[in-house]
Amino acid sequence: MVNVKKGVLVTSDPAFRQLLIHLDDSRQLGSKFIVRELDDTHLFIEKEIVPMLENKVEQIMENMNPEAVDK
Amino acid sequence: MATKERKRRGKWDTYKAEEAPSLYSGNADKETSSVPKAASHNLNGENASSVMTDEFGAKDYRKDMPLKGDFTARPLWVAPDGHIFLESFSPVYKHARDFLIAISEPVCRPQHIHEYQLTAYSLYAAVSVGLQTKDIIEYLERLSKSQLPKGVITFVQMCTVSYGKVKLVLKHNRYFVESRHSDVMQKLLKDSVIQSCILDDRVQPAQQTELPAQEKIKFSHGNENEKGVEKDGAAADGTAAAATDGKVPADIDEFYGKIDGDDEEDAEIRNLQLLTFEIKQETIETVQKRCIELEYPLLAEYDFRNDTLNPNLGIDLKPSTTLRPYQEKSLRKMFGNSRARSGVIVLPCGAGKTLVGVTAVTTVNKRCLVLANSNVSVEQWRAQFKLWSTIQDKQLVRFTREAKDPAPSGADATKPVVCISTYSMVAYSGRRTLQAEEAMKFIEKQEWGLLLLDEVHTIPAKMFRRVLTIVQAHCKLGLTATLVREDDKITDLNFLIGPKIYEANWMELQKAGHIAKVQCAEVWCPMTSAFYSYYLRSQIARKLLLAVMNPNKFRICQFLIKFHERRNDKIIVFSDNVFALKRYAIEMQKPFLYGETSQNERMKILQNFQYNPRVNTIFVSKVADTSFDLPEANVLIQISAHGGSRRQEAQRLGRILRAKKHSTDQFNAFFYSLVSQDTVEMGYSRKRQRFLVNQGYAYKVVNNLPGMELEDLKLASKESQLQLLQQVLATSDADAEEEDVKEELADGTIRISRREATMASMSGGQGAQYHSKAKAIAERHPLFKRFRQ
Repeated sequence: MVNVKKGVLVTSDPAFRQLLIHLDDSRQLGSKFIVRELDDTHLFIEKEIVPMLENKVEQIMENMNPEAVDK
Repeated sequence: MATKERKRRGKWDTYKAEEAPSLYSGNADKETSSVPKAASHNLNGENASSVMTDEFGAKDYRKDMPLKGDFTARPLWVAPDGHIFLESFSPVYKHARDFLIAISEPVCRPQHIHEYQLTAYSLYAAVSVGLQTKDIIEYLERLSKSQLPKGVITFVQMCTVSYGKVKLVLKHNRYFVESRHSDVMQKLLKDSVIQSCILDDRVQPAQQTELPAQEKIKFSHGNENEKGVEKDGAAADGTAAAATDGKVPADIDEFYGKIDGDDEEDAEIRNLQLLTFEIKQETIETVQKRCIELEYPLLAEYDFRNDTLNPNLGIDLKPSTTLRPYQEKSLRKMFGNSRARSGVIVLPCGAGKTLVGVTAVTTVNKRCLVLANSNVSVEQWRAQFKLWSTIQDKQLVRFTREAKDPAPSGADATKPVVCISTYSMVAYSGRRTLQAEEAMKFIEKQEWGLLLLDEVHTIPAKMFRRVLTIVQAHCKLGLTATLVREDDKITDLNFLIGPKIYEANWMELQKAGHIAKVQCAEVWCPMTSAFYSYYLRSQIARKLLLAVMNPNKFRICQFLIKFHERRNDKIIVFSDNVFALKRYAIEMQKPFLYGETSQNERMKILQNFQYNPRVNTIFVSKVADTSFDLPEANVLIQISAHGGSRRQEAQRLGRILRAKKHSTDQFNAFFYSLVSQDTVEMGYSRKRQRFLVNQGYAYKVVNNLPGMELEDLKLASKESQLQLLQQVLATSDADAEEEDVKEELADGTIRISRREATMASMSGGQGAQYHSKAKAIAERHPLFKRFRQ
């Protein structure tokens, strides 16, 4: 049987891919969202999660560098 | 936007709170009473409505500050909030710069526009080097492109008018407060706090000894020439500028000479009768504080020329010793009216602070106590004294844990000496050995002409106080490169030592070739995915370790080392984390040095680094941050650091700043800071760089290094990286933390620390993994193998 699912292909560096996997594992966005881990730099994720994920990533980036945002 | 504006102004309002020593927070209210209220009041009232602030926080003063007709010839903008902006390309830059350094604090000095800020303390410092209120305002007015804001004028008046009228003088081992203004004296005497500190409450006209003609102080041979050269240079500059622009306003030029020249007290003031009263020694600090509250801060001056009680040291600089222009300038400020003033001189690392210190000692020529912050630097001071001055061996007394020269006794006890010791040694309050006890008694008994404080920013205020209660000195000189601390304790120095006398501009020294030209680079090392996945799940201490041990960082570090070794450079690698330090060094087979390395071994490693052409790289922990003089080193790689400490960054840079032999226009020193991408290191790194950026340094961000693929580097395979990861994860928490630098306590006692750990970690069994061990042995270098089997 064929399963069809709409999704988004994410290309990133290996470290960022790990961040996404970490978010996926810890269910910080409420649910798992990675459909398939393709290779070192590619992930296939659910489409609905994208806006939420964008928010979250932005927040993480800000936390990582509070000063640059402050000014 | 509105909130931002409020925040900005709030900062100016509370500037005094920042300035006020945080230690006296209990007195904060009283302290603020000494703030000239006019300044802040004025700023709130007039400008609040009209000042526009754009989205970057820049303020628009165009409406308030109409330009003068000849504004192009004038180099300054004086903003109503006390910030001053100087065009460094202006023909009168040179005139303005010296003046601004005297009256304000440099905030940021990049290439073209320099920012300064007027503060109460900077103005106090200006008065203490002999500038008068009306001179400050008049010169500022002349240099400014627009009319001086009223607030600034009042601020300057409030801050300076009362300063410099009262002096604290040490005579015959007793402290006196001295003034020629009877009204001021009356006010002080009526104050209850001060009354309690007075030893003998009769105000007595001092025996008016006839003042000998004051000769000006000369610093060194060859100094004459240099002075001449400098003057010539200035003149040439001036004429050249005048020729090209023809625009240097005459009034600025004429004033410059006046400001620059040595200033004498006004004759009429000198004719007034000198009033003194004596205060108890233990209450000096109270009196000083109280006087600041009363707006009559005490100026500490030492008239060493006329001090007949203390014998002269009888040393001089060697004829071959020459001072650089900025060294001489800083000393001229210190010995302005042929007396020695207490204060702090700020020069970049490697710019010859030691020579300034040695010259100050030879100028005062009395007993001198030098305090440094480590045993290594004590040795370095000793060597420098011998190098630059005509001092004899028996006049130099070391007093440290390792090398205790016997305290002079018998007939020698009264002979003046230069004593070199460490802060911790003098401030130590526990039991001492007999020998140390004697040496301490010796130090306590003496009346020191000059107390020289090296790396003055490092000492905690508490320890410092102890030192000051033990040591009686006429005059205190602090030397440092970085007058910043992450805690705001730095303002305490204003109190405990004196105002900042001189601060050099790093970029100008670099241009003149007095310090090395450094290329700063921040190298971004991507995290490997395996490391990053663990990084995300770990506690903060472990996170830092994972970020440091990032295999990509290791590879980049190795690449840089190979690259620079091929150029015959001398490389120092800094790591705050001892685990990483050892791992890196052993893996690359380089010598390393950290807190637990014995003094003997340290010296050996350092000497090898200096003279052995086969040892071109050493790994050091933060013990080498300050006062390790390694003149050969010209490349510095930083793999881990202490959080966001600006001071550490600057001090580390200082290790490679000493001027290099082959001075060209090219960069001749390199400073790499390796940062793991997407980790906390990025944020820290930005913060750390702020001080150096303010000094005008630019960091270059490097994303990838060309040629790295061609190099044979370790940790190339996935397996070896994973193995490293296993080892990192297997370390105990204690290992993951940064090294605590043990305080060097007197008498060789080392404070015993207690750590809680599991039995397994004590026996070394924690997290032991068999496979990794077996693998490690297989890879071990033959040299190490022999010890194990």
